[in-house]
Amino acid sequence: MKKTVLSLALLGCLTAPAVFANVAINGFASIKGGMTTGSDEFLYGYDDSFDLKNESLFALQVKSDLGEKLSVTGQLLGRGNKDFDVGFEWAFITYELSDNMRVNAGRLRTPFYKYSDFKDVAYAYDWLRVPQGVYGLGFDNIEGVSFYRTAQLGALESTLQAVAGSYDGKAIVSGLEVDAEIKNILGLTWELAKGNLSGRVAYLTGKVTIDAESASLGQNVTIGGLFNTLNGFGLNNLVSAIDIQEEKGTFLGLGLTYDNSDWVAVSEITRVKVDNSFIAEQNNYYVSLGKRFNSFTPYVSYEVEDNESRDDIFLPFQTVLPPQLFVPVQGLVRSQERSTKTWNLGARYDFHPSAAFKVQYSSEKNDTTGDRAGLIALGVDLVF
Amino acid sequence: MFKKMLFSVLLACSFSAAANIVVIVNPSNTSSVNAEELVRIYTGRSNAFSAVNLAESVPLRAQFDEKGVGRTSAQLKAHWSKLVFTGKGTPPAELANEEAVLEFVANNPQGIGYISADKVTSAVKVVHTIN
Repeated sequence: MKKTVLSLALLGCLTAPAVFANVAINGFASIKGGMTTGSDEFLYGYDDSFDLKNESLFALQVKSDLGEKLSVTGQLLGRGNKDFDVGFEWAFITYELSDNMRVNAGRLRTPFYKYSDFKDVAYAYDWLRVPQGVYGLGFDNIEGVSFYRTAQLGALESTLQAVAGSYDGKAIVSGLEVDAEIKNILGLTWELAKGNLSGRVAYLTGKVTIDAESASLGQNVTIGGLFNTLNGFGLNNLVSAIDIQEEKGTFLGLGLTYDNSDWVAVSEITRVKVDNSFIAEQNNYYVSLGKRFNSFTPYVSYEVEDNESRDDIFLPFQTVLPPQLFVPVQGLVRSQERSTKTWNLGARYDFHPSAAFKVQYSSEKNDTTGDRAGLIALGVDLVF
Repeated sequence: MFKKMLFSVLLACSFSAAANIVVIVNPSNTSSVNAEELVRIYTGRSNAFSAVNLAESVPLRAQFDEKGVGRTSAQLKAHWSKLVFTGKGTPPAELANEEAVLEFVANNPQGIGYISADKVTSAVKVVHTIN
């Protein structure tokens, strides 16, 4: 056995320069544009003037095989909505423990959803964009370690991923960009596939801290200022029920896919909770159905977001608090209320071996605000 | 004479058009490969072999993708881009032509590749045939 390995390695050395390069450079890009269908409609960063920057992106990946089962990968990505400023989206080392087990360490994608890992590589799926009602959580990347194992369990193909790490960056809460930190992230995802059918479950937990104190509640009142006033009244309990200081956050996601190369149906359902904070429990799902006609794949999908605000936080204080304090507290808690339903209709056309043209119409109805927004977007996704 | 030549040329052409694709391994390799294992190898679920592919410009590649792996070339490319850009796998190296595949497999005990049946030599072993 040792001899075989040795001779294999020697042979590899002899043939390697011709066949395999030590450094592999790959890339992907999306050039997309879109506009909403009305002047007072806003969706996914678009308004009613055609914008070719918002969802466009460009990425280069360099992977260097260091031999002895060790490799290092860096993925540089620039997004149009960040002025194409380039940063490391992924940067990790990989150690192959065996043929079907590997460990990645560094900056990795948080494996919340079925398409999390490659949601920027739109060429890899049929939609123009992943369903935002479900995929809009943020916290895309973590610094940590991931263990990845594929196995054959009888007739089932199993893919197991365990992840541990932390997040330190920005998050969007109630439409405001705030500083967020999640420590002690632990997660497990497991995907089982048999023939055309596959199922996935993901569970992640972490200690969430979100610093929203500088965020404005309007009229020169910041969230931090409100907390100070409440604490001054001795309402520390109320403050601690609202703020997000090392609270336990949990994510549960379930996914089901049927793909017989002709029809492709996908659904994911997710639940997000942050204990002891004003963050609403988020119960979201989507269903999607597509049909492949050679290189043309039309699809339709439907997304639902249901975030019910935690009114139980402020209701006991309705008669206790003066209106000038009750109203901002209520406003803050209620800002988490969100109920939307979105229809998407679109198509993918593989016009080139490495590129796909896509067009998608999305119509979002927001039941909380009563607003409706339509968006038409089109573009090209490619890999190279 | 001319007629005979024309006939044999035609025959050769029709043969090569209808030629089966054969999956080849090194003669020293005793592993067997069935249709399912082949799909696993060429979708990155099995690393039991050191697999090579034909370049996309070779017509046999599209036939193999379709009949051997059961997906269109575009679907397979989408599949591999999922693995490549998430650090979960590297697609089989692409070689320029069938001769290069033959040479790689002949010289690599773990090698696996595919060529048209009429190109097989004694330097490799056929483990699977795709009609």
